[in-house]
Amino acid sequence: MLNSPICKMLGIQYPVFQGGMAWIADAKLAAAVSNAGGLGIISAMNADADYLRGQIKKARELTDKPIGVNVMLMSPHAQEAAQVICEEKVEVVTTGAGLPTKFMPAWIKAGVKVIPVVPSTGIAKMVERAGATAVIAEGGESGGHVGDLTTMTLVPQVCDAVKIPVLAAGGIGDGRGMAAAFMLGAIGVQCGTCFLLAKECDVHENYKKRVIAAKDIDTIVTGKRLGHPVRVLKNSFAREFFRMEYDSSISNEEIEKFGTGALRMAAKEGDEQKGSFMAGQISGMLKEEKTASQIILDMVSQAEQLLKGASAWVK
Amino acid sequence: MFFEKIANLIADYKEMDVKDIREDSLLQEDLELDSLDTVELMMSIEHAFNNISIELDGEVKTVGDVVRLVEKQVNHAE
Repeated sequence: MLNSPICKMLGIQYPVFQGGMAWIADAKLAAAVSNAGGLGIISAMNADADYLRGQIKKARELTDKPIGVNVMLMSPHAQEAAQVICEEKVEVVTTGAGLPTKFMPAWIKAGVKVIPVVPSTGIAKMVERAGATAVIAEGGESGGHVGDLTTMTLVPQVCDAVKIPVLAAGGIGDGRGMAAAFMLGAIGVQCGTCFLLAKECDVHENYKKRVIAAKDIDTIVTGKRLGHPVRVLKNSFAREFFRMEYDSSISNEEIEKFGTGALRMAAKEGDEQKGSFMAGQISGMLKEEKTASQIILDMVSQAEQLLKGASAWVK
Repeated sequence: MFFEKIANLIADYKEMDVKDIREDSLLQEDLELDSLDTVELMMSIEHAFNNISIELDGEVKTVGDVVRLVEKQVNHAE
């Protein structure tokens, strides 16, 4: 059985986190992943404290296993989300899209384990200094907000830069990716796109269909001009957004406005023209819906086989 | 004194002329430092000022903001 210190640290069975995808990672999905032995994570996204508290309470009704909350630090409600996490004594908080250091003392004092998503060694070092339990080094293969570095290059460099455990994310969708992450020095993985296809994930069926239909080359990074690049599946919205970025007569405000609400339109309404279907480059490899439990078991058992067999390469 | 030292560190980091850095220069817009650059820069500033600890928050927008943060930390350390 795949043995990783992060399991003991967090009280989970398998070293697999489900990424905190906005408009997608709700209580139902998080509870399913946690019940399956991974760490299910609720996205606090741009919602207010009442929404998050409701989701945490719902997840608690669905599972007695540890759960996490992802705080999107650019959210106007990040401060109140941070407070709710303390009050509800969530086991793990992950963070993205910024530096979480100003919230960390309160979380740590409340006994919440802080595991930020980091795009560089500098940020990894900074959150380690602030008391992070571990970090998730996420390469730009992932869906949603992305950094420049790839998982292959970022993970080993973060492992060298910090003493705390490192999980790998970005482009991991099966046991091969998971085994590779362990070879790079990670002791666990976070996956987003593959959990989009969990049967317990209530994202709109058009979203799932687009991920299943996607080929390897079907994602694009938009938003570079705005300073927050986002990987999405190519569709008419993504192509238009990309075109607008290269049109100097269009202001940043106009582009921001064009993108506002597009993820919700994809995730909740399944709008294939105007929706922003955030997904990682691994989409091309994902071909079917499975239960959260099956996703985790398939990934972990394949990784175990590969890691056991790795010595065959050494003569 | 703080400004000169910090401006020199920024100039080294960005490979630019120190004369182009002013107290009111915006880190992102004027100096084209993204969030990752800013963190790297802060770490080099911390090192240059005897390993003080700078906590970045959303309020740090200009070179002057950085100077004031560093001054505060150095005074606090003394």
